[in-house]
Amino acid sequence: MEFSHIFWTVLAWMIFWAVVGSFVTRRVYLHRDLDTSSAAFVGSMLGAATGPFGLAPLWMNTPEITRRLMVLPALGAVMVIAAAFAFADPSNNCVSNGSFVASQIVNGLILGIIYGFMALGLTLIFSILGVVSFAHGEFYMIGGMVTYFVTTVWFPGINPIVGILAACLVTFVLGALFERMFLTPMYEGKIERPVEYGILVTFGLAFTLQYFIQATVGANPVKAKRFVDFPRIRLPSVEDPWLIKTSRGNMELFDTVSISNPRFMAAVACVLVLLSLLYFLHRTWTGKALRAVSLDREAAAIAGINPDRMNMLAFALGGMIAALAGAMLVQAFSWLPQVGAIPAMRSFVIVVLGGLGSLPGAFLGGIIVGLVESAGTGCVPDAQKAASYIPAYGMMVLTLTLLLRPTGLFGRRFSGGAHGKL
Amino acid sequence: MSKQHTPQLAGLVLIAFFAIFPFVYSANDYPYIMHLLITGFFYAILASSWSMLAGYAGQFSFGHMGFTGIGAYTTALFIHYIYISPEATNLCTEYAIGDQFLIFVNPIGITSSTLTQDCLRQALEIWDGSVQVTAMPVWLGIALGTIMGGIFGLLIGLLVLPLRAAYLALFTLGFSEILRATISAELAITRGQAGIELPHLFENGLTLFGRTFDKTDKLPPYFVMFFLLLTCLGILAWLSKSKFGLFVRALREDQDAAAALGVNTTRYKVLVFVITSMMAAAAGAMMAHYIGIITPNNLMILQMSLVVAMAVIGGVENFVAAAIGAIIIEFTLELLRNSFEVGPFVVDMTIWRLVIFGILLMVTLRFSRNGIISPMIDYFFRGHVAKETVAKRATGTSP
Repeated sequence: MEFSHIFWTVLAWMIFWAVVGSFVTRRVYLHRDLDTSSAAFVGSMLGAATGPFGLAPLWMNTPEITRRLMVLPALGAVMVIAAAFAFADPSNNCVSNGSFVASQIVNGLILGIIYGFMALGLTLIFSILGVVSFAHGEFYMIGGMVTYFVTTVWFPGINPIVGILAACLVTFVLGALFERMFLTPMYEGKIERPVEYGILVTFGLAFTLQYFIQATVGANPVKAKRFVDFPRIRLPSVEDPWLIKTSRGNMELFDTVSISNPRFMAAVACVLVLLSLLYFLHRTWTGKALRAVSLDREAAAIAGINPDRMNMLAFALGGMIAALAGAMLVQAFSWLPQVGAIPAMRSFVIVVLGGLGSLPGAFLGGIIVGLVESAGTGCVPDAQKAASYIPAYGMMVLTLTLLLRPTGLFGRRFSGGAHGKL
Repeated sequence: MSKQHTPQLAGLVLIAFFAIFPFVYSANDYPYIMHLLITGFFYAILASSWSMLAGYAGQFSFGHMGFTGIGAYTTALFIHYIYISPEATNLCTEYAIGDQFLIFVNPIGITSSTLTQDCLRQALEIWDGSVQVTAMPVWLGIALGTIMGGIFGLLIGLLVLPLRAAYLALFTLGFSEILRATISAELAITRGQAGIELPHLFENGLTLFGRTFDKTDKLPPYFVMFFLLLTCLGILAWLSKSKFGLFVRALREDQDAAAALGVNTTRYKVLVFVITSMMAAAAGAMMAHYIGIITPNNLMILQMSLVVAMAVIGGVENFVAAAIGAIIIEFTLELLRNSFEVGPFVVDMTIWRLVIFGILLMVTLRFSRNGIISPMIDYFFRGHVAKETVAKRATGTSP
């Protein structure tokens, strides 16, 4: 960066006022006997965005914290960082090259949809069982592996949908079996600290599954063929296809944004499954029962729902969702037994950002994380460094969320049951 | 001999066994077994301090490996970048202290041909052997690493104060991952995946009781690691017997109730983080010097899962059991390494042993929540008397 000191100075200034804002605002609100649950978040964001000029009126007036007061300063803080970056490094691709920015944003959105979809499974498991499943990445990996073996090794040329269905079936059964065998004692109050037990036992499952696959399949990377080819489209005309131009493995929009086929297909599939999942959760009896259990176990049990069966269903369904994401992405990335680690971490980030247990939060969080990652990889000047830092971007989002607003975007406090108290 | 003293006696026998073992044992695989024991001690320190953090205080942190990394990298960077020289180089950043110069070598990273081109190497070439530069002592590096681990433990302890259960686990996991990504990415300073080489614990050899030890001899690091383990266990035993242990366990059971009864929950929660992370950092620094190289892969989640599994299988609510469990598991994992053939199939045990290990972890959690070693120790402690009888005797209702 040419003028990097500008950027670092602005960043230091923002961090300083964010820290001051988070501490003092909380104190001020506490002093005036007001609700402090979001005060630290608002204070830090306002401090980061405006420095002392926004904080002073906040401390003097102590307005009631509304949704607008939370969103606007956060957006402002992001804008200030972006502006500082633009001033500090005017020749960066992210600043000077509009089409690069557009394609980064589109790619970030597409990846974000896939990430969000995968995190959905994790948040479903948490909202019903109160377990943060550390084996989520392994379900993702197994989904990809099963699809690869069915479509490429055992039955080459078979319709990929069969492979995806096989992956879903395998992981659904695996999840249900695991839940029956290892998670049932949690519900009967036999375990003193169920949340920790859940973490450790899923951790053990992750360990076992990962090495089981490595022992049986081997550690060589595998990759499935593309499931579908794009049809050849040239719009508006063959001579000048400025609107959309497709080849078999790629799609180009407006001559600038290029989207690869596997990712696009994965995102489309994720959206379709998401819609059917929403239908299932909101329109069928079983789905409604699932949501009821996630809201209040005891009340659901009184209404005639068997929470134990819902637990099994939720764990199996959550694992299956991860496997579906893996099954769609095995055509995009090369697949290893260790491939689940990074998506699993990312899912943790997303569910915490969206609010543990919140389905729309998981999806929105996924898109935010997708955008943050594509901004991080695209804009950091040193490309090699940027690649090494990829796992850290999400984790920074996670730590910031936990520090400032542990309930996340749409988080709720759980009324009781097996969920970890915040 | 009364039965109450059985566990203490067993402990003493165990300590004596480990103290005498390297002098008695003399098979061909001596260096290998010694290496296993040293690694076992390393994991024992980690597992027992983690059991203090997770089992006693109820703070399920997944950042323990991060603290070992902090210890290891602190000493590595310290020894790699700081030297003492009797003459000024006029190339590096340097400060005169008395008639010596403290030299800060500039980071040049691993960019291909520049490996020998940092400012100190250039100065040495100019001097052409006329000046002797002293490296920093290893022990200072380890001490600094331990202190740095404590500082980071304090920081993390303060940050996680409002977080519980799942949120704490995720936060500490995030901390560990950010640390790993940063170390991998900052090639210029940490050399990324290539890792930093460190001098051995006794780089110039050691002469004790008329015996001279080479720097690659296993005996001195064995006893250093062993004494570190004993020190850590001693500190943990003292802490758990004192008020600290009681308060910390109260914290685990119900933080709000403990606070209401007058326990300074903030102080003890932070303190337990500081103490355990200092132990982890000291072990990490020591191990890095013993191995001779540190890479960011040492902080991987796999390493953390090993520590967690060792502590859980040993018994997470008993740090002695966790330590013994760590040593036993380290040995079992190594013994299971031999692949064998069943008919036409070659069973690659290097991977399958980890599968077995994972299943063992899950089954232990499911059916024996206090681990496997801990109930055995308990059994000895009671001296073959049933649990109920002990409880009755303690309350004094029965003779």
